[in-house]
Amino acid sequence: MATNFLEGPTNTTPRQTLALSQNAKSFFTSQKGWSLPYPLSLFLNTESQEKWATYENIFLATLRTGDHDAAYLCLEELTDRFGKTNEHVVALQGIYQEATAKDTNELEEVMKRYDELLKDDPALFSVRKRRAALLKSVGRPVDAIGDLVSLVDASPTDAEAWAELADLYAQQGTYEQAIFCLEEVLLVTPNAWNMHARLAEVTYMSAQKMEGGEQLKALSESMRRFCRSIELCDDYLRGYLGLKITTGRLLTALDGAKKSQLTVSDPTTGDLAPPSLASVRKLNELATAKLGEIVRRGTAGEKGWDGYSAIELKAARDALDRDTLKIQR
Amino acid sequence: MILTGILRHYLSTLLSTVPKRDPLPKLRQNRHLQHVRNIIINHAQISRSAFTRRKEWFADEVKKGSLLAEGPAGKGQGKPNPLSDPAMMEGMMGMMKGQMAMMVPQSLIMGWINAFFSGYVIMKLPFPLTPRFKDMLQAGVGTQDLDVRWVSSLSWYFLTLFGLQPVYNFILGSNNAASQVAQQMQMQQQGNPMGGVEDMEKVFQGVSEDLEVVEHWFVLEGVEDRLLARLQGTTV
Repeated sequence: MATNFLEGPTNTTPRQTLALSQNAKSFFTSQKGWSLPYPLSLFLNTESQEKWATYENIFLATLRTGDHDAAYLCLEELTDRFGKTNEHVVALQGIYQEATAKDTNELEEVMKRYDELLKDDPALFSVRKRRAALLKSVGRPVDAIGDLVSLVDASPTDAEAWAELADLYAQQGTYEQAIFCLEEVLLVTPNAWNMHARLAEVTYMSAQKMEGGEQLKALSESMRRFCRSIELCDDYLRGYLGLKITTGRLLTALDGAKKSQLTVSDPTTGDLAPPSLASVRKLNELATAKLGEIVRRGTAGEKGWDGYSAIELKAARDALDRDTLKIQR
Repeated sequence: MILTGILRHYLSTLLSTVPKRDPLPKLRQNRHLQHVRNIIINHAQISRSAFTRRKEWFADEVKKGSLLAEGPAGKGQGKPNPLSDPAMMEGMMGMMKGQMAMMVPQSLIMGWINAFFSGYVIMKLPFPLTPRFKDMLQAGVGTQDLDVRWVSSLSWYFLTLFGLQPVYNFILGSNNAASQVAQQMQMQQQGNPMGGVEDMEKVFQGVSEDLEVVEHWFVLEGVEDRLLARLQGTTV
């Protein structure tokens, strides 16, 4: 069977999810299998972490494809094994109820249940996260932000919560807070190149609103973040695309900048001086060349280059096309 | 012998209790401590201004004592006496009970093995050894002059016990409790219940001082030159 049961739900494409949920039946029958009579069964142990991870993945996949009966079976198995009060199982039950709720009233019911659970034990972080996610999905981002803020106050090492909070802030357009949250994520996972790139993106977005020296500073910080993410992960498409865009902006910004702004390297605040024009230009050329290579090989599906998502490849190609148009003119 | 291992596995799964979750204030205190340690380790990821802001915030909070589990009121109480706190007492009793429950089957099994296996040699190694190996190979046989090449049965039992781990893995799944080695490791990790109580205020002050003396450097400094050097190195 080519289906990978152990791939986490965040990494699967819709096609993989569909395949996973279609294989649910055969997985159930394979689990039923033979077993020894009672005293002898003590000598054999079919427990493994993979088994339960598979159950959870199938549960999420079947919910996504709308196969609620199969999802219910998985949930039953998990509840039987780990008990009703298990932190993880409670969250999964919540997901099931959210997914099968037919209208907003039922979602309100789920919310009430979360509130009751949290009144009993405010340390149930999985339920607190579910509550924030539910608030976000019913279109109450401000309440979700409030929830998450209290969550990260109680548990400031939770990178997942910080990242979610950063997303919400960025959606609301409050970039400064989003940058703060992403910095917190980086403090927990210092080498996460995707988080470096994400921070760079948010910094770039915030730079759009600024002017003059402030903008120059934000742009160069964003460019350096992209550099770092490429340094951590070779051939990172998002990193190169961001590097190309930021260096393009920086070239114009540096041209128009005053002399005094170019050499500011304040030792007290520790802000770095903007990069030199020559190195920005070189980086821009390199990023363009690399992007061209990635797009060419990625679209051709060459071996070792086929992991890129189609949407990101298209965005990169569009950026390159825009560039050539400008030159033709 | 495999049977004793399996017996041990099921006994310990029966007797083990689910560790209780800490209440929220305590959890918060510990996570904040971890958070500051993260800042100290990974400070290079954030800019100097962001680092200074966090440093000042933390120093402020420590002064106010609001990160402590008891809140600002818990400041200056000193090290709590572990015996005065009923919840702590209960936790310690639970731990004692667990350890007693572990001890009884352990000593039963050991006694059984001792009665069964002690007092005779079982095989002769085909190669000579230095006298140092006497302790390892001739446990339970009290003769001084016996050649080291003879292996007593009790020693043989221990040798096979450590070698049976893969067999247990095969029968019971990978995280079984049959092996003695794993169990001893676990006991060491639990640590001393009496030593676990610390004056959190002092701990926080210590970390705050650590944070104060951190010499900040920024990972983004000169990153564009590093990247350029590397990319040009590979493309040319």
